[in-house]
Amino acid sequence: MTSNMKSHAIDISSLKRDPRVLNMDDEEITLRVNDLRLSYGDKEALHGINMQIPKNRVTAFIGPSGCGKSTLLRCFNRMNDLVDGCRIDGEILLDDNNIYGRSVDVAELRRRVGMVFQKPNPFPKSIYENVAYGLRIQGLKKKRLIDDTVEWALRSAALWDEVKDRLHESALGMSGGQQQRLVIARTIAVKPEVLLLDEPASALDPISTLKIEELIHALKKDFTIAIVTHNMQQAARVSDYTAFMYMGDLIEFGVTDTLFTNPVQKQTEDYITGRYG
Amino acid sequence: MEYEKDGYSTHISQQFNEDLEQIRTELLTMGGLVERQVQDSIEALLNGDSDLAERSLRGDKQTNDMELMIDDHCTRIIARRQPAASDLRMIMSISRAVVDLERIGDEASRISRQAIELVKGGESPRGYQEIRHIGSLVRIMVRDVLTAFARSDINLAYQVAKQDKAVDQEYRSAMRSLATYMMEDPRSISSVLNVIWVLRSLERIGDHVCNLAEHLVYLVSGTDVRHQSLQEMRRTVNEGTDTSDEGDDTDTDA
Repeated sequence: MTSNMKSHAIDISSLKRDPRVLNMDDEEITLRVNDLRLSYGDKEALHGINMQIPKNRVTAFIGPSGCGKSTLLRCFNRMNDLVDGCRIDGEILLDDNNIYGRSVDVAELRRRVGMVFQKPNPFPKSIYENVAYGLRIQGLKKKRLIDDTVEWALRSAALWDEVKDRLHESALGMSGGQQQRLVIARTIAVKPEVLLLDEPASALDPISTLKIEELIHALKKDFTIAIVTHNMQQAARVSDYTAFMYMGDLIEFGVTDTLFTNPVQKQTEDYITGRYG
Repeated sequence: MEYEKDGYSTHISQQFNEDLEQIRTELLTMGGLVERQVQDSIEALLNGDSDLAERSLRGDKQTNDMELMIDDHCTRIIARRQPAASDLRMIMSISRAVVDLERIGDEASRISRQAIELVKGGESPRGYQEIRHIGSLVRIMVRDVLTAFARSDINLAYQVAKQDKAVDQEYRSAMRSLATYMMEDPRSISSVLNVIWVLRSLERIGDHVCNLAEHLVYLVSGTDVRHQSLQEMRRTVNEGTDTSDEGDDTDTDA
């Protein structure tokens, strides 16, 4: 069949379409990435990334392993500072201030830009103390205020009803899905502006995954969310914008609905449809 | 991005390649059946061959079965593969195309039934000229749209859609002259009405072929051109290819 079909040679490669420029005029921009280059030693891992992360939207990063999506995500709260031999050029503006500027307080930056990782990492403390931890570090002492914030964070993380009767039991006794939502509650308790999620559901079962996705959807009204995921259907379900990265380059950044039905770049098409690149 | 007409066979999953190739083959097979039905029904009518008309009618059962089967295969692929981008558009286009193909089959059956009626009621040469003319236009359209699908050729799809306007025009002019016949000779009314039904069916087949062309443009270009003017469809096709006849500005969208 295929060989028959191929004999009807009409040159489809003559097809062309103008690359669409992503129009974000109607969006308020939280993070602007300007010509960001990052190297680990001699090896450049990000080759000049330019993009904008809009406020109160979910932006998903997809791409094969090693494409630089997690590296880019970790740039947003300077987690790469901890890596030896890591060199960063270019700038990332958070509300128009370069987060790589000299006067930036990195601890304060990480309060404003919170991060959740692939594996749930609750502290070996009670559920309550996990969420209250960040507040105490910030110097909050009033018990009433801490109680209220813990309840708010747990409710926002869709966890309150499940844990309200055992707030003082160890967090390590919770299921993986609950632990991940607890970590999200802990992150949002300090009221960050941006929430970075690095494969937050990849270690969870399908039901817990759906709960996390539901939660992402609910949280975007209060936070700007950037998520790295290997699960393309998940990116398609939860995000408003999707960035496809490949070998340290941002190949395509578009409205999720368009990117998953009619991508502009062939590399994007090959990746999301599971073709040989 | 550029549409690769054989792209469906380059997935990492060999099984997925086979699934997509299979429904594509099935669609073209169903197209072949329907093309045959249309051809037989028109020929049966023009030659007063009721045996051929009966055969064409029996073919409709097979067309209906294929519609159900292809639709079922599309549903299964969506459930199992969650297709994206051009794969998704291919499934959507095929799932829409089988509906139009099945309707073309229904219209062909209508023509076959009229052929049987007309044979029973004796010949009526009035209006056969029009049937012959519009019938041959429509037959070519059906053939061309299937070729366009087989080759993912949206230029040809556009030409087919354009041809539908010619069919519509011929249909209207045939209606006028048949109305004149009926006024001149009221005894011919009942047989001319039968001819009108046939012309109506042919015109409907043209419309369904036009829909098929639109589904193909969506599959290849990603732009949904349904309910758009012919000019807009041409713009989409031109954006997608270099090879179209850009000097041709004579389209009217009647």
